Amino acid sequence: MSVSRAASEPAPPRSRLRAERLYLFALPAVLLFVVFIAYPILWVAGQSLYTGNRASETWAGLANYRAVLVDPTFWIVVRNMVLWGAITIPVQMLIGGLLAWFIERHTHGLRGFFRTAFFLPVVTSVSVISLVWVQIYAPYYGIAQAYLARIGITMVSSPIAEPSQAIYALILVNVWQWTGFSMLMYIAGLANLPGEVLDAARVDGASGWRLATGVVVPMLAPATRSLLLLGIIGTLQTFPIVHLMTGGGPNHASEVFGTHIFRQSFVLGDTGQGATLSVIVLLLALALSLVQIAVLGARLAPAKGGA
Amino acid sequence: MKRPLASAASLVAASMLAISVAEAADQQEVTVWSWFHQPTMEKSIEAFEAAHPGIDVKFTYYNYSPEYITALKAASASGSLPDVIGLQPGSLTQQYREDLAPVNALAAKEWGDDWAEKIFPVNRKQMLMGNPAGDANAYMVPQESQVLAIWYNTKIFADLGLSVPTTYGELKAAANALTEGGYIPMFQGAADGWQNENVFLMLANQFSPGITDRAQTGEVPWTSPELVEAMTAWKALFDDGIFQKGALGAHAYPTGAQLLAQGRVGMMALGSWWMQESKFPPPLSEFVDGMAGFDFFYLPPVREGNPPSPPVGGIDIGYGLTKNGADNPAAWTFLAELTNGVGLQQALNALNDLPAVPGYQPEGDITDHTRALYDRFMADLPKAENQRFASPAVAEALDNGLAGVAAGSLDPEAALAQVQAATDKALAAN
Repeated sequence: MSVSRAASEPAPPRSRLRAERLYLFALPAVLLFVVFIAYPILWVAGQSLYTGNRASETWAGLANYRAVLVDPTFWIVVRNMVLWGAITIPVQMLIGGLLAWFIERHTHGLRGFFRTAFFLPVVTSVSVISLVWVQIYAPYYGIAQAYLARIGITMVSSPIAEPSQAIYALILVNVWQWTGFSMLMYIAGLANLPGEVLDAARVDGASGWRLATGVVVPMLAPATRSLLLLGIIGTLQTFPIVHLMTGGGPNHASEVFGTHIFRQSFVLGDTGQGATLSVIVLLLALALSLVQIAVLGARLAPAKGGA
Repeated sequence: MKRPLASAASLVAASMLAISVAEAADQQEVTVWSWFHQPTMEKSIEAFEAAHPGIDVKFTYYNYSPEYITALKAASASGSLPDVIGLQPGSLTQQYREDLAPVNALAAKEWGDDWAEKIFPVNRKQMLMGNPAGDANAYMVPQESQVLAIWYNTKIFADLGLSVPTTYGELKAAANALTEGGYIPMFQGAADGWQNENVFLMLANQFSPGITDRAQTGEVPWTSPELVEAMTAWKALFDDGIFQKGALGAHAYPTGAQLLAQGRVGMMALGSWWMQESKFPPPLSEFVDGMAGFDFFYLPPVREGNPPSPPVGGIDIGYGLTKNGADNPAAWTFLAELTNGVGLQQALNALNDLPAVPGYQPEGDITDHTRALYDRFMADLPKAENQRFASPAVAEALDNGLAGVAAGSLDPEAALAQVQAATDKALAAN
């Protein structure tokens, strides 16, 4: 009785003061958020409404947004981003998942070696990866050409030199680099699968393909959701591979949001349009994340226990 | 006994601290940012500090893109630019004009009222490029110049019995012979806009000297017949096998330069800066060592009746005094020595490029052959056509047009119409 009465009474002033002080612990995080995230976002959003340089900035309203949306390059970028996300995310998941399955189930003494080998591209410098892949793709003196020449094949062009192929050639490099990350996420998911559920499925006669698709894949859904969210964010953030390998060319054929924003803001000095593109990307990322959370739920951690 | 010793030690320490504080107060500091070759810049700074013991130069090196241009943008927005910044003429200088102090009065005091006349004509023109009408202020001082040319490997040419091509037919034949001999004919890093611009400028100035300058200022349209012909000739360099296959996916640096230095490339469009390869730390290839395997020529006529391409070039790099640096007298002292003094001499000794003003010769261990190459470039520099663009948007449109034409996704007229549209927009904004 005394407990319920105490709960219904207002908290003593000292306790309330103490509870309010607890909010101070959040202050550093809030400050960091405001200074390094909120303020820059607001500054960029403000810049998107102006045109001209710093000395002669003039109010443009939504003119920058109209200019960006009627620019054909913007729609090339949108097409490339859709291709990038639609190809890299499922392909990386599929190959990463298969690698994780085979490494965890079918390698024993060499498990550490395979895990490291496939994860190595993820931790390799993008500059090095770009240099190597430019050389791989190069006809005449390229690495691929050296091997193809042995079977009488001569490359007539570089895939990154062809407007119709450049974006796919870059997607391939991205898949090569990031599949190891998907593999690692699935390895974590597989390690947390409850043995009793798998055993029960086996007792019920599930094995091989049936076990994989009917039991394992659904139980890896949290890892898949995480990869999907990270994949979408990563797609919108794509920059270094494209900047270093093609610079968005030839003639914008492999342009992505990152390179387009960089060019507008830093090469052409058009801060207004650069900021406008940044705001569009931010809104796009926000919308896609919200849709994903609404459709798939927010639980992103790898499966744990029987959950 | 211990107490007097401790007191004496404290006294000595305090005296030393006081001396170092006093020295630091006397020492003036200059902050400098640039993408300039770091070891060479360090030599220039060392020479400057030896000549000016009271000034301490703090140099920060950046890769040009994206590091340098993003650092400049951020520092400009926050008002924290260093005292002196490396600049290219035209678009880069104009982007930061509001942050830069005009140097005319300081330069006149340093080098005399006719200081600008002492600078090579093409550099003088580029120094003011993009200034608003009526603004005769110099916002940058050129340090080094360059002349663009086609470098070729003399040893490979000799092995294949080739001579310097004087017609387009000979150029094509040389490219074929090089390809059949297992070499890359003319390496073009066509993924880099700057290298494409350079070759296009060689072509365009062959059809009508100075035409790209007139097109930038709106005196002639970019769609004029000479420029369309130059663009068509540009496409032919890909189609006729003069450039290597897959050139649009290749970079001039590091790939092209490495292959050229290794003797796997017959020809490459670069500039006078290529001589610096001979001053890089060993091991050097037999071709690069003393420039023994290299010589240069200008692009032969690509159409019957044309002259060969004239020298094209101008400022390689210059330096600007920021408004922050204008409050620091030591900053101008450094800038002056770097562009026309002990700092420049060190850069020339490293064969980094040509000086922006006459009267300098590289010193030190330089072969007769390299010195002859240097002298030929210096003789051509005063008559060089301009290679720079006042508006980055125009340069960007040209880069895209060149890539589109080379890839076959644009025809020359359509590509040049894009450049014209960018020019109209840029001129309207001014």
